[in-house]
Amino acid sequence: MNKRDQKELMVFLGMIGPGLLVYLFIVAYPILYSAWLSFTDFNPNSGGDWSFVGLLQYKTMVEDPNFWHAFKNNMIVVAVSAFGQIPIGFVLAYILFRNRVKWGHFFQAMVFLPQFLSTIVIGILWKRMFAADGPASRIIQIFSGDPSRQFDLMLKADTVMYPIGFALIWMYTGFYMLIFLANLQKIDKSMVEAAKIDGATEPQIFTRIIMPLMTGAILVSAILAIAGSLKGFDLIFAMTTQGLQRNNAMVLPIFMYQTAFQDYRNPMRFAYGSAISNAIVIISMVMILFSNWVGSKFNAGEDY
Amino acid sequence: MKKALFTLLTLTVVLSTLFLTGCQKKADGDSASGGAPVVVKTMAYGDNSNAEGMSWERIVGYFMDENPDVIIDYEMLYDEAYHQKVVARLASGDVPHMAYMGADARWGAPWKEAGQQWDHRDLLKDSMYDTSLIPAMGPNGEIYEIPLGTSNLTTVLFMNKALVEELGFSEPKTYEDIKAMVPAAQAAGLEVISIDGADGWAWGSCVMSAFHARTSGDPNWVSKAVDGQNKFTDPEFVAALELIDMMVKDGVIEQKAVLVDYGTNISNYSNGKALFMVQGQWAAGGIENPEVADNTVMMAWPAMPGEKAGGAGSVGAAIQVGYGLTKAGAADENVKAAAMRFLDVFYSEEETTQRLRDGAIVAPILKGYQTPSDLPAIIAEKVRFAQSVALQSDVVDAFLSGAPNDTLNAGMQKIVAGQSTPAEVAAEVEGLLR
Repeated sequence: MNKRDQKELMVFLGMIGPGLLVYLFIVAYPILYSAWLSFTDFNPNSGGDWSFVGLLQYKTMVEDPNFWHAFKNNMIVVAVSAFGQIPIGFVLAYILFRNRVKWGHFFQAMVFLPQFLSTIVIGILWKRMFAADGPASRIIQIFSGDPSRQFDLMLKADTVMYPIGFALIWMYTGFYMLIFLANLQKIDKSMVEAAKIDGATEPQIFTRIIMPLMTGAILVSAILAIAGSLKGFDLIFAMTTQGLQRNNAMVLPIFMYQTAFQDYRNPMRFAYGSAISNAIVIISMVMILFSNWVGSKFNAGEDY
Repeated sequence: MKKALFTLLTLTVVLSTLFLTGCQKKADGDSASGGAPVVVKTMAYGDNSNAEGMSWERIVGYFMDENPDVIIDYEMLYDEAYHQKVVARLASGDVPHMAYMGADARWGAPWKEAGQQWDHRDLLKDSMYDTSLIPAMGPNGEIYEIPLGTSNLTTVLFMNKALVEELGFSEPKTYEDIKAMVPAAQAAGLEVISIDGADGWAWGSCVMSAFHARTSGDPNWVSKAVDGQNKFTDPEFVAALELIDMMVKDGVIEQKAVLVDYGTNISNYSNGKALFMVQGQWAAGGIENPEVADNTVMMAWPAMPGEKAGGAGSVGAAIQVGYGLTKAGAADENVKAAAMRFLDVFYSEEETTQRLRDGAIVAPILKGYQTPSDLPAIIAEKVRFAQSVALQSDVVDAFLSGAPNDTLNAGMQKIVAGQSTPAEVAAEVEGLLR
């Protein structure tokens, strides 16, 4: 290595060094600590001795019915994101792109509006919507003619994810719409014009030109949706009250939180909580790899 | 361009002034004590919009103005965020010197687990506190925090006296008396007893904490069950759960209560939509409608069907939370002295009276304290009620925590919603506990 290379190396290290140190301390260290903790019985709150317990925490996790309940709910959230938010966002973006509605900018702003609101505010808003004699109950009462009828889907484990899914779509669809709209606007309009001159119909333009060019954006959106869905905590936590509703709607991050931070009876709760959080990461990675694989089959990343 | 420059210049001058003022203040503080001020790292409870938080900020502000040698370096959080942060700080080793804490299974557990509970008995001034009003919190009579007031009453029935009398009834002595009000209340479009049933803890703290004593005749039944002397599947506990089922079937509590949250419950009662509300004593301060507040009578649950003599008239009561030093704080003599100086101000008669007026406490623990005669009617009623309680029973979540407690709370909601039976809920709790 000559002097010039050495100097460049020093400059390189000097430039990335501070950022790398911050990254290692704030991101890498907690990940490694969490991985280590999940193989021990250590309780950082009480301190003291610890032992290596192998896969005990993971074994406890897969034998815990609450884990599978939370996992099932998380998969529903992923499905709502992937097959609800993304398609609706895409359709809305396409309608705006093709100028199919008047006041497009107004609708664009309205759909994107929830992104400007705090998640906690949105959670409380939807909690009020589904409360006793709240707007959802009032609608049921009007249509049924029974003033005592209540919107009770939040109380049942097998129906609680419907209202939550609805709220998730309301909140995040605007985000995906904007991603798709930005990508649609990058498409060379002359391609669409040429297709129209050649007699292509609107569905043909959509399926033969737009869709192939948008697979990359759809893949990126799917990855964002999966990662966001699996770590999603705040909206569901704010929408539900402590007790039956939150137990019904429990997703893996809430299960991890309740285990590590609230279950004082379990002295290994931090280690168990770490195992759950590692499981969330592993599940996310598997699903993202799957998305990439699916994307590759559809030629994701095709050039404009 | 000129306008932007002018704005930038103004901003710079203002910020510089603020910075220099801060430096001057700090320098004054340093010089007053002849050294660096003592920093008391504190975990406080409240938020900027409630009486508890505003009172804390005000007290800290004037204490530090008058004691420039002390800095109360606090982090203030409320509700779930507070509990989460306590666990996170203790687990990470960032132990505060002084904190809002309790001594039971919910408020005291993380401090106990971290070995940070510290006995205050030697520092409590006999001239200031009536120590007979401060219950023992440890096995040897230790006092781990200074309670804000006397025992926290959690199973209180708030009765809208005017509304009850308007319907032709009077203060109920038995459950049957309440049940008799149902047809008239329903005809008037009113609830009989409102509860924030969407909050699982409300069923445990405000209902079951009295019912277990009523059906068993033992006010300490829950603590004995947690110790293994009783089982949650015992007939007396199942009978207590059956009372909830019975109240829903009788229309005394409406099934929709399980969809009502804390704020809505108080608002419903405050707006005259219910004859009674069940909550803890702290809810008194939230009844904002003066017509309802001035007409409210506070009472214990009346005699319930199948009630045993040993539990008659019992009211769920837990040790009140308050501020205390941690072991880490007490280890440093300067910090300990500074913190106790602050606590003397925090628990002063003036501040305690304000807390009483805010509705935050039942009754003070100060020696020779004279209750002011000009208290708001609802607060005076609370003091009267507290003094009338003859028998206090275990509050469930003061002894039962984690998954069994969550299951019990959610189980009671399932009973109300018609999704579980009392026997099933009892079996599930017992299964998780042992």
